[in-house]
Amino acid sequence: MEFPFEISPMYEGERIRKSDMYVELGGPTQPGFELVVSANKDEIEDMKFTLIGPDLNEMEEGKAYPYAMIYRIAGELVEKDLEPVVERRNHDFQNYIAGYMHLNQRYDIWIRISKSAVQKGLNSLEQIAKATMMLFKNELPFIEKIEATYVTDQAEVEKRLEEAMKIYEERDERTLTLHDEDVDDFYSCTLCQSFAPTNVCVISPDRVSLCGAITWFDGRAAAKVDPEGPNAPIPKGELVDEIGGEYTGVNEFAKERSGGEYDRIKLHSFFEFPHTSCGCFEVIGFYMPEVDGIGWVHRGYDAPAPNGLTFSTMAGQTGGGKQVVGFLGIGIAYFRSPKFIQADGGWKRTVWMPKSLKERIQEFIPEDMRDKIATEEDASNLDELKEFLKKVNHPVVTGIIRDVDGIKITDGWIEEEEVTEVTPEEEAQALQIREQPQIPSMQIQPMYQPGYQPAPQMLPAPSSGVIKLVLKNAKINIEKIIVSKEKD
Amino acid sequence: MVSVAVTGKGGTGKTILSALLVKFASKTGKRVLAVDADPDSNLPEALGVEPEKTLGEVRELFQMSRDDMVSHDKEVWLEGKLMEVIYEADSYDLLVMGRPEGAGCYCYTNNLLKSILRKFMSHYDAIIIDTEAGLEHFSRQTIKDVDYLLVVTDASMKGFRTAERIRDLVKELNLDFRGIFLVANKINDMAKKVIEDYANEHKFDLIAILPFDEKLAELDLRGVPVVKLNGESELVNRVEEISGMIFG
Ligand SMILES: Nc1ncnc2c1ncn2[C@@H]1O[C@H](COP(=O)(O)OP(=O)(O)OP(=O)(O)O)[C@@H](O)[C@H]1O
Ligand code: SF4
Ligand SMILES: [Mg+2]
Repeated sequence: MEFPFEISPMYEGERIRKSDMYVELGGPTQPGFELVVSANKDEIEDMKFTLIGPDLNEMEEGKAYPYAMIYRIAGELVEKDLEPVVERRNHDFQNYIAGYMHLNQRYDIWIRISKSAVQKGLNSLEQIAKATMMLFKNELPFIEKIEATYVTDQAEVEKRLEEAMKIYEERDERTLTLHDEDVDDFYSCTLCQSFAPTNVCVISPDRVSLCGAITWFDGRAAAKVDPEGPNAPIPKGELVDEIGGEYTGVNEFAKERSGGEYDRIKLHSFFEFPHTSCGCFEVIGFYMPEVDGIGWVHRGYDAPAPNGLTFSTMAGQTGGGKQVVGFLGIGIAYFRSPKFIQADGGWKRTVWMPKSLKERIQEFIPEDMRDKIATEEDASNLDELKEFLKKVNHPVVTGIIRDVDGIKITDGWIEEEEVTEVTPEEEAQALQIREQPQIPSMQIQPMYQPGYQPAPQMLPAPSSGVIKLVLKNAKINIEKIIVSKEKD
Repeated sequence: MVSVAVTGKGGTGKTILSALLVKFASKTGKRVLAVDADPDSNLPEALGVEPEKTLGEVRELFQMSRDDMVSHDKEVWLEGKLMEVIYEADSYDLLVMGRPEGAGCYCYTNNLLKSILRKFMSHYDAIIIDTEAGLEHFSRQTIKDVDYLLVVTDASMKGFRTAERIRDLVKELNLDFRGIFLVANKINDMAKKVIEDYANEHKFDLIAILPFDEKLAELDLRGVPVVKLNGESELVNRVEEISGMIFG
């Protein structure tokens, strides 16, 4: 078929002005949608076009009309999951057509056809449909057969839109229920390497990018359109740690892209091999050894968190593409993930966040935890936080049983008995170690990171025999402490 | 496509020059895009139009609503919003950039916008960008890919110094323009000679000396859009010449 218009990527992004417009289809004033559905090969008559409603040459210049474009596709490799990927391309291909502007997607589509295109011989939507179908088949060879139904009749568009809405909803539903285990590839993002050279963002269905901007679907779309661009597929490889979210493919990728700076990443872990941060994160998580819980603070919150630090202070320490144990940068949408730091207790480990952040993600907090997470109204320092957590009987107080596997990962706070007076010495940090062998390692480990301030009060309390150590200006790095009673 | 950014010290006449360039470039039947890249936007006023939305608002809306986009394509979404922001005047289109980004990470957003804007802008014959006073915007996206830089100065040492700093910065940032031109504005006869000597000495390509225009000053004071300036005047003729030189 000969077309009276040119077809080229050159025409992408061209605005058809109102004064040059022959007609508008869909858009701000009329209903419209586009839909791609898969079908069996024998159900489809290849390149068939059906129009329901008036054609272009029956339309009145300067007016807007309802518009639906429905494509049915078939092929050995065509599957349901490809429908949205193919549908997205309708936008690209139709914009290749000179004098035809296609904007938006799904039920928001907005099309303008130019007067000059009509003058050059465009007079039927069949020409548009045939050109689009040809492009689909040329550019996406897995489409073996395709047919198109275009609708410009108001009632028919509205009726079919209702059906289409159900399909979009189902798709969104599928999107939300797609998990790390359901896909073979994750996606990387290296946009921020210019200022954080060792940072590698790994984006999986259950982990949105830490800047909050890129989902797994965005990564996939970008990688398809621009394979040389900042988003590339990471074949996830073998599963190493299901709960932490560790995969051989991700590890290899991280090692390569960080120049060997680190070689393991656990996507859903806070303490062990956490994801790196380039400083772009929307929210920072911080561990508070005093309560053995994690707080989160977002960029918009200026006041100090209960640990006495502000977002920007913590962000300064954590950005730069390093694995910093005790802090983790995330995107706000990660709070929606069912795998949200699941290795370290997820919501059960979360003890504090600013009210505005909590309100924004309220519906994603498990119901039984909603009232147990403090905000600045409940607690603005550690003492108040401790009180609050005790009052609401937060899981960190009694010990966390991890939801994923039912394993108890923290021992909880061991009842404090009379606290021994520590001589208040200037710049001195008092550390009391008591005869109590079962010091939970989870609690100890982050506290003894270099540069960490050991927190005296919260160590497991003894029943007798207090040893008092006073350390001045000390940096401590201890792998293991064995405290035992001397045998008589 | 030929694009020009109008820069220079505050209050030297960037916006007025931009508005008049838009007027003359579109008179010749070219497809013209006016871009207001000054967060303290006043190009629309000078043009006598009232666009409702800015790209800055779209950027913020995107940051706020992207978590709920589920499987919507973000690039397509942003492109659609850009098109909604474009104001269609009789003979040109206007894009108001609005306020610059707030705190937070805009890497991805700006990366998408960059490619959307590149495609969008490629369809215009003439693009005129009115910028904010000073140098800050040089680090931003808008100014990097333009063909010509117009540096506006008045008859003041401060205006000259800004012009020099702009030229130094261009070198430092390795920006590649087809030309950097000096435009002297609000110049009376006395100052003409000083400006010419200055341009010579500092090797500036002085393409126009625009006089102080009583009528324009009056229009502006009365809040009448400067593009309404009609009749023959030296200022108008000179700007028309600049337009012809740059856009043909
Ligand atoms: N040639 C001229 N004759 C008379 N008045 C002028 C002339 N050029 C500019 N003006 C006046 O100078 C003032 C500043 O002009 P304009 O707003 O164009 O400057 P600007 O460089 O865009 O300023 P800003 O840096 O604030 O954006 C306005 O009041 C304008 O009317
Ligand atoms: S922070 Fe966002 S934009 Fe930056 S590298 Fe990560 S995913 Fe990409
Ligand atoms: Mg101005």
